[in-house]
Amino acid sequence: MLRRKNLRPVAQLTIPTWIFLALVVLIPFFYGVYISFLNINLASFLPPSFVGFDNYQTVLAASETWSTLRITLIITFIGLLTQIPIGILLALVLHENLRGTKIFRSILITPMLLTPVAVGLTYRFMFDTDLGVINWALGSIGIEKVNWLGSQTSALFAIIIVDSWQSIPFVMLLVLAALTAISPSLYEAARVDGASASQIFRRITLPLITPTLLVITMIKIMDFLKLFDTLFILTRGGPGNATTTLGLWTYKTGFVFLEFSRAAALGVIITIITLPVYFLWRRASRGVR
Amino acid sequence: MILKRGASYSLLFLASFLSLFPLFWTISTSIKDRVDTYSLPPKFFSFTPTLKNYISLFSLEKFWQIYSNSIIITLGSTFICLVIGSLAAYALARKPRFRGRTPLEGLMIAIRALPAIVLLLPIYKLSSYLGLYDSKLGLILIFAGFNIPFAIWLLMSFFEQIPVEIEESARVDGASTFKLFTRIILPLAAPGLVATGIFVSLLSWNEFLIPVIMAGENSKTLPVLVASFISNRTLDWGPMAAAATVALIPIVLLTVVIQRWLVAGLSSGAVKE
Repeated sequence: MLRRKNLRPVAQLTIPTWIFLALVVLIPFFYGVYISFLNINLASFLPPSFVGFDNYQTVLAASETWSTLRITLIITFIGLLTQIPIGILLALVLHENLRGTKIFRSILITPMLLTPVAVGLTYRFMFDTDLGVINWALGSIGIEKVNWLGSQTSALFAIIIVDSWQSIPFVMLLVLAALTAISPSLYEAARVDGASASQIFRRITLPLITPTLLVITMIKIMDFLKLFDTLFILTRGGPGNATTTLGLWTYKTGFVFLEFSRAAALGVIITIITLPVYFLWRRASRGVR
Repeated sequence: MILKRGASYSLLFLASFLSLFPLFWTISTSIKDRVDTYSLPPKFFSFTPTLKNYISLFSLEKFWQIYSNSIIITLGSTFICLVIGSLAAYALARKPRFRGRTPLEGLMIAIRALPAIVLLLPIYKLSSYLGLYDSKLGLILIFAGFNIPFAIWLLMSFFEQIPVEIEESARVDGASTFKLFTRIILPLAAPGLVATGIFVSLLSWNEFLIPVIMAGENSKTLPVLVASFISNRTLDWGPMAAAATVALIPIVLLTVVIQRWLVAGLSSGAVKE
């Protein structure tokens, strides 16, 4: 027994990791909270002073905070409704293990690996009103030109399309893992009892992958809050602020308008919004595996 | 069997087409002449390929510096992630309970959960005090910090597959902990180290928000260069597509190599406690 105990690696091995995580998470986080109570403006040379909750009051009273939060929620909601069903469908088809499944799986996960900035650029070209291949394809089936990135509704659609293109593989992979974990004997028993394919899906598959779907939903909500690269390339939050999410608004507040302390206050608010999602995610992930 | 076999295949082919078309379109635009790029209907195959766009991209004053920045920062941060991450992953994989495990995992998850901008605002301010703004070393350290959790999650799954008995017999033969780790554990986990290394370097290679905030003229990386094309008034799609292709090609090549481990990497951290 004693020897076995000695064999265990020691917790000290995690010290270097602690140092790095302290440098990029712990210290910045508390420093960010501290900044949010000062009045730092990057364009001003006055020494910062303590202003209490002023930044929070300003930020919570600003209409942009609420309109960008609303846009974040719209993107999240429509994005989830698009990505989860398509991800499930693709996972189901891959799970059938048809000939060539491995190759198809490799092809289908490619989009999630590609540099988001380069992807955004490609789509921006494809969404171009006059020269874009998307409008050309729509035109050839008789649909009039859409100024994709020019109006709020169509720009939001474009953003959701690009994010879906990169995110559906993630949904697909997690659902596929959940499907693989279901015992084939359950399906056999159901088939012996004469259950139809849709009955099997609703009564067996869906309930068994529900924990995974919850995990995916929580992770995706957090990822929509993080959305930055493709959004930055496609519209930069425009026209105006019509497609600016809360995360992008925080960036603009800090690095475009140089209101650093206000941006820090927005950061704290985003953290508070993330917390319940985070706890639901940890809870849901206990139900998986 | 939800769908008929024919319907399944049609769906797979459609999805594959949609997955690959943008990649194909970027690469083909990058080797088109201006006239072909702007022609309608679009030219899919009937054009004479040219290297013009690449030549004008490579002759950009800062291109090679930016390209080597990207490589240095990617390799440097990946190296740190592997060294530090493998130590922590080994402890986490072999020792289920120790003081500090829960908060450590909490911090790792915080990186996955929080929008990076929340942490990058204060990091920006702190690093200008430390003189790490616009420095490659600063970017290497920050990239490493943000990617370590993914390295640990992935490495843990490989360490867990190594049977404890092997370590026990090595220990009986008198191996020290250091020897045990470097001579036995690491070689056995070599495929895992390679896969993790490639996966983490992919994350670094693609990273945009960190360098866009933390890099000035000296330490700019490829994604920042690619993004900077968009702010030009005259959008010139050819060189832009060439820049995007230069960023994308290494990924496509690497992922073909690590196909086998990719799935584990892509879902890492999602469902593990």
